[in-house]
Amino acid sequence: MQGTVLVVDDSAMMRKVVLRVLKMADVEFEAALEAGDGNEAMALLRANKVALIMCDINMPGMSGLQLLHQIKEEKLAVGVPIVMVTTESSEPQVKEAILAGARGYIRKPFTVDHIKNNVRPLLAA
Amino acid sequence: MPEANAVLKRFNVEEFLSPATLTRADAIVAEIFGMMFGLEIEVVEASDPGPDAPGSDERTAVVGFSGAMRGSCHIRMTGQAARSIASAMLGGAPIEEGDDSIDDALGELCNMLAGGWKNGTPGLSSECALSPPTVISGRNYKVHMIKPSVKVSRLYQFDVHTLHLTLCCEDLESPQA
Repeated sequence: MQGTVLVVDDSAMMRKVVLRVLKMADVEFEAALEAGDGNEAMALLRANKVALIMCDINMPGMSGLQLLHQIKEEKLAVGVPIVMVTTESSEPQVKEAILAGARGYIRKPFTVDHIKNNVRPLLAA
Repeated sequence: MPEANAVLKRFNVEEFLSPATLTRADAIVAEIFGMMFGLEIEVVEASDPGPDAPGSDERTAVVGFSGAMRGSCHIRMTGQAARSIASAMLGGAPIEEGDDSIDDALGELCNMLAGGWKNGTPGLSSECALSPPTVISGRNYKVHMIKPSVKVSRLYQFDVHTLHLTLCCEDLESPQA
C-alpha cells in the first residue's frame, strides 16, 4: 500500500509486533514510523504525512487518548484512520476513543484476522 | 476511569479469593499464549517446581492495579523462558541474550495479562487502571505491600518453561488496614 504507517506504543517490542502482524494481514506500507508516546507521535505527525495510525492507550507522557485530542486540536492527519491497539477495552474507554477520533479499536492480544477485519476496511473506504 | 467525584465501589476481597479469579487468569493466559505466541500453555500443580532449574536467572514483571481494586499482577520466569517469549512475539526471530526486547516482551505479557484479567472481572473493567510494567532481574527480592493484602498464585508450563503468576489485592476490610 502507498504511504506511511505510524505505530505509537511505549513498548518497542509491541511496535515490532504490530508492524509484523500488519504485514501478515497484507496491510503493508512503503514506510513505517515509530513513536514511544504521544509527544513523539505529534512531532512525527507535524513533519510527515501518514496513511494509517496504530496507537496504544496506556503510555507515559502523552497517552493515546490525549494524543487523539491533540491531533484534532492541531488539525493533523485529517481523514487518516486511527486504530487504537490496547489492553484497555472497557466500554467508556472505547466510546471516549471513538468520540475523540479513533476509527477502530483492537484489543491486545490480537490475531492477524483481527487486524485484517478491523484495519483493511478502513483503508479501502 | 470513573469521574473524580463518583463513589468508587471497592472490589470485594472474598470475590478476589473465589475460584473465578484463577479461572479468568487461566483463560487469559491461554488466550495470550495461543494468539500472540502460537504456544500451548497448561496449569501445573504448585508442588511441582517445573522443568526450569531452581537457582537459574529469573525475571519478574509487575503491573499495578489502582481504582476499585488496588494490588498487582506479577509474572516470574527464567531469563531463557523470557527470551523464548520475546522470540515468539517476533514470529520466531532469534533474540540475543541480554537484548532489551526480552524485558520489554515480559512487561508486555504482564500488561496484557493484567489487562485481560481485569477486563474480564465484573466491576473492574472500567473502574480499575493499570500501571506501566516494571521488570526485575534476579530472585533475591521481597515485595512489601503497604496495606494488608491477599494473593492467589498459579504455575503454568509452556514448552520446557514455567510461568509463575501471582495476583495481589489489598484487603481494606482487614483489621490491620
